[in-house]
Amino acid sequence: MFQRITTHPRRRFLLGALAVMALLALPRPALAEDPTAFIEGLGQKALTSLTTPDINQAEREKRVRGLLRTYFDVDTIARFTLGPNWRNATDPQKAEYIKLFEKMIVTTYAQRFSEYSGQELKVGKATKASDRDTVVSSQIIQQDGPPISVEWRVRSKNGQMKVIDVLVEGISMSVTQRSDFSAVIQTGGGIEALLASLRERTGSTN
Amino acid sequence: MTAASARPSRRQPNLFAALGLALLLSLSLGACANNAQSGYKTEINDPIEPVNRAIFAFNDMFDRFLFEPVAKIYDAVFPGFVKSGVQNFMRNLRAPIVVANNLLQGEIGDAGVATARFLINTTTGVAGLVDVAATQGLMHEDEDFGQTLGVWGVGEGMYIVLPLLGPSSLRDAAGKVADLAVDPLFVWSNNTHNNWVYLTRGGVEAIDNRARAIKAVEDLRKNSLDYYAAVRSAYGQRRGALIRDDARQQQGGGAAVAMPDYDEEY
Repeated sequence: MFQRITTHPRRRFLLGALAVMALLALPRPALAEDPTAFIEGLGQKALTSLTTPDINQAEREKRVRGLLRTYFDVDTIARFTLGPNWRNATDPQKAEYIKLFEKMIVTTYAQRFSEYSGQELKVGKATKASDRDTVVSSQIIQQDGPPISVEWRVRSKNGQMKVIDVLVEGISMSVTQRSDFSAVIQTGGGIEALLASLRERTGSTN
Repeated sequence: MTAASARPSRRQPNLFAALGLALLLSLSLGACANNAQSGYKTEINDPIEPVNRAIFAFNDMFDRFLFEPVAKIYDAVFPGFVKSGVQNFMRNLRAPIVVANNLLQGEIGDAGVATARFLINTTTGVAGLVDVAATQGLMHEDEDFGQTLGVWGVGEGMYIVLPLLGPSSLRDAAGKVADLAVDPLFVWSNNTHNNWVYLTRGGVEAIDNRARAIKAVEDLRKNSLDYYAAVRSAYGQRRGALIRDDARQQQGGGAAVAMPDYDEEY
């Protein structure tokens, strides 16, 4: 059937137009000029697509997942948060770990954005942290409280920018998560203990 | 996380003995790694983890059943201006501690700012209830002796969880004791047998601080698999960040960005 559609000249034109439109609609952080603009884009996108109260939880989770995959290097973050345990994990364990890790983040942030109450992201300056990494500082401006300092660690990989860590008031989310996970692995005696714990937390079955 | 609450209520502790002990304790830690100026530290030294976990579990129970509910009521009942009044008042009472620690860190400018804040807020700010100084660009910045020791290069020693007071380290706990020596309210109430004054101050301050952390604590509880380990890590990182900031200022600023080493790829 697919063949017939593509061979039909008028339909082919329609499909082509659709493809172009889809490409134009795709978020393109790859072409973002500088890390500051990149984080501003992320903030804008989160604000416009995640904070509307008139979407349900499933839709919000879907949008968070999209944003996460576009702007964050989930694989690198997942790898870092597993630390030295990454090497000892089997391929299926790694795959399941990344899947569960992403699911946990998505659920968490979907929940957080559903409680949105007028915060704004004020992006500051970018500082080079290493050959590959730049740190973009920003502040979350709250209606009822002091501003919260947030630093975004942005890495360029194959000409594409991705966030690999977020530091809130000097506390790295990746490092905190890694300590947390490594404690679970130590107490439970292996990566299976962590996977079991993550499955339980995210309501996933094996 | 149980934030600072009631102070230890010994009868007439000899302040100078306490200060001396704190100094001795912290100097003996001086041999430990100096990580104030260098990079980001991710490992935390926790040799008495079983004891710490037990105290942490107690604190957490106390928090869930009493402290957090009280803080939530406080948060819901009082309008914003009352709560910021409480915070301003408490901060103003602590101003002498901030000034003293700024001086000890060699931060003459910051000591001046803290002094000006105290003078302005105590007078035009109605005994410290209104932060008038902040509207003039003189912003509050917290300092304690634990940070000062960190700037001096004293390592944090081991991680300890204090009953009711929450996460700390040998260095920071010693710092808390030392701060009492320059805390006029503590010294006065201790010398005049009015211990209820600083106990009340500690209680109100703890509830106000806890109310400001409701969301953060909820988040951490929800998003960690091992809450103890997550709090321990967050505490160490936060203190490290504060001390790095101080050390950077002491060295006349600079654009150094301390980040965890993300390149030890696995």
